[in-house]
Amino acid sequence: MSVEFAGRKLANPVFTASGTCGYADELADFMDVNALGGFITKSITLKPRRGNPTPRIVETDAGMLNAIGLANVGLERFIAEKLPLIAKMEPAVFVNVAGTTIEEYVAVVERLAGEKALAGFELNISCPNVKKGGISFGIDPAQVEEITRAVKKACRSKVLIVKLTPTVTDISVTARAAIAGGADALSLINTFTAMVIDIETRRPVLANRTGGLSGPAVRPIAVYLVNKVYREVAREAGIPILGLGGIRTASDAIEFLIAGATAVAVGTASFIEPDCATQIVGGLHDYCVRKRIASPAELTGTLAGPA
Amino acid sequence: MTQKHESRKKGCHAATVLSNVRAGECFWKMRLRFSGEAAGAFARFRPGQFIEFDTSDLAIPATESIPNALRDGARRSVLLRRPFSFSDVAVQGDATLADLLYCVVGPASLRMTTLRAGDVASLIGPLGNGFTVPAGKRTALLVVGGMGLPPIRCLARLLSTEHKDVEAIAFIGARTVASLPLEERPAAFDGGLSLSVPTFATLGVHSMVATDDGSAGHRGPVTECLARWLQENVDRDRESLIVYACGPERMLEAVAQIAAERDIDCQVSMERRMACGIGLCQSCAIECRVEDSTETVYKLCCQDGPVFDAREVVFGAETA
Ligand SMILES: Cc1cc2nc3c(=O)[nH]c(=O)nc-3n(C[C@H](O)[C@H](O)[C@H](O)COP(=O)(O)OP(=O)(O)OC[C@H]3O[C@@H](n4cnc5c(N)ncnc54)[C@H](O)[C@@H]3O)c2cc1C
Ligand SMILES: Cc1cc2nc3c(=O)[nH]c(=O)nc-3n(C[C@H](O)[C@H](O)[C@H](O)COP(=O)(O)O)c2cc1C
Ligand code: FES
Repeated sequence: MSVEFAGRKLANPVFTASGTCGYADELADFMDVNALGGFITKSITLKPRRGNPTPRIVETDAGMLNAIGLANVGLERFIAEKLPLIAKMEPAVFVNVAGTTIEEYVAVVERLAGEKALAGFELNISCPNVKKGGISFGIDPAQVEEITRAVKKACRSKVLIVKLTPTVTDISVTARAAIAGGADALSLINTFTAMVIDIETRRPVLANRTGGLSGPAVRPIAVYLVNKVYREVAREAGIPILGLGGIRTASDAIEFLIAGATAVAVGTASFIEPDCATQIVGGLHDYCVRKRIASPAELTGTLAGPA
Repeated sequence: MTQKHESRKKGCHAATVLSNVRAGECFWKMRLRFSGEAAGAFARFRPGQFIEFDTSDLAIPATESIPNALRDGARRSVLLRRPFSFSDVAVQGDATLADLLYCVVGPASLRMTTLRAGDVASLIGPLGNGFTVPAGKRTALLVVGGMGLPPIRCLARLLSTEHKDVEAIAFIGARTVASLPLEERPAAFDGGLSLSVPTFATLGVHSMVATDDGSAGHRGPVTECLARWLQENVDRDRESLIVYACGPERMLEAVAQIAAERDIDCQVSMERRMACGIGLCQSCAIECRVEDSTETVYKLCCQDGPVFDAREVVFGAETA
């Protein structure tokens, strides 16, 4: 079941996604976190962030909107309280990094780049729920390249994944920019900016007005975008894709692999079935046995038919 | 601060539905049975703790039986689990029985009504921190607003069995008589303190009813009953008193203020929209004061609560 991802050998290609699996200890009651291929922390910022007022979430058909606002303990408390536990984990651990300026991103990565227990970083330049930073970096190709380059320098030997937003006209343009800046891998997608209105009060339900749409509702779009980036950019550049968006089952995960992803991540689905990601590892294994495939890596980018 | 005393043994469990019936104009009652490992986990359930119920693969009722106001909502698919408290938990041999009282307000609770005896439900729990009974308390004032009843009723049971030295008095409020989530209606509602409400009387707990429209008991907010009782009992040692409340946030705010003015301990059970209930998503933020400071922080309702010390909470954040 092992795959190679940006030069790292992973026990399997299944990750849990940033912001949906806490700092791992929360999930430990429900599954063996060591059965995962990779783990991505909640976004970490230089200073602690309170996050947005509530309501921060609302459910929609086959999905949900969230506007958490990058609430997190901040770099120092992360190092003191969360890192020791995470360091003991077997899966490849990536710290998801967010900020409002390039300097903030760089400061977090510099501080953590020497941590042996970490496989690397995931650059969140795609959060739709903060006023400054986040998605504003991720929609401008010039800024994507600049921030990727700056962070990559601070990364030392660690793997740098750049997480792309789907809320752009052509995601291949931002994918190219990230690769030009030195990204070792791309992850897509982050959530889609969306709104739900309470018709009694005629107000947006979320205190932040808008939120990011995730869950099964976004999956076919995410599969399409992964395939697009794979065909137009990543395959040729030899850059692996971490595919995510609405994955709930092994079948969903396999779709992403066929579309061009080297690994997949489970987000919203963990809220409903906390052990969803490890169940997918099992289902993926069964599929590989049934199809006589030695490694899920053989599935990557095997979409048949005309391009 | 409320203490953390629960074992961390939470998990994803199956429960068998023993019964699921409409129990009043506005609410249903479901009895669940846990066996095996789950029976052990829920035997230690504390009043105020909660579970996350999966309704995503349940059927919707026949269109005729869907209230008009819910017809649009009923068409929405359900993805996330929903948080619910238990109103009673009892160990019976190797099994643990739990009662869930629920209001039908949207797609998830509507689907719950289609569960039948013998069906199996998936739920995660026990979650969060329940009510605590600090040493030295003699009188517990239980304040209920509408569907805030279940955890308070569960607490009344605990007090009557494990804290016999604590006298409990219940103040039960609702908008109107029809929205009182009581299984057995008293023959006549008493605005004064009496054993007229069977739900509490069977536990030996005196109670008082208030409705906003005066259709039962005292006309006006239930907090007036609480304030009046405290006025009539000013001579009691405030250290021996404790207030427990669950209901709409506005009511909790008023209760907290009444308790704070008299410097009486008060624990409130808070509600937030929860995507996970287990600390993964950060959706359930509650603004809390930091001791000896003007600063506030966000705590998580599902992990740090849902029961909070009322002095800690900055109310009014969620008015939706
Ligand atoms: C710790 C906890 C314990 C609970 N215990 C019980 C219980 O014992 N019995 C019971 O009947 N209910 C209880 N609830 C409330 C219950 O979770 C909701 O009624 C349920 O989620 C409704 O789901 P639905 O799909 O039927 O309706 P939805 O469509 O989700 O909601 C119906 C309406 O209520 C609003 N709403 C939903 N959740 C909230 C919220 N948290 N705060 C403010 N507005 C909201 C929605 O906007 C909508 O207008 C509890 C909630 C919490 C957090
Ligand atoms: C509640 C919630 C919080 C999230 N927080 C973060 C975050 O802190 N950083 C980040 O890069 N992505 C965050 N995401 C986005 C997810 O990692 C993922 O990209 C997105 O939800 C799509 O996958 P899904 O449909 O499987 O959830 C969050 C998503 C949700 C639902
Ligand atoms: S509901 Fe997800 S953290 Fe509280």
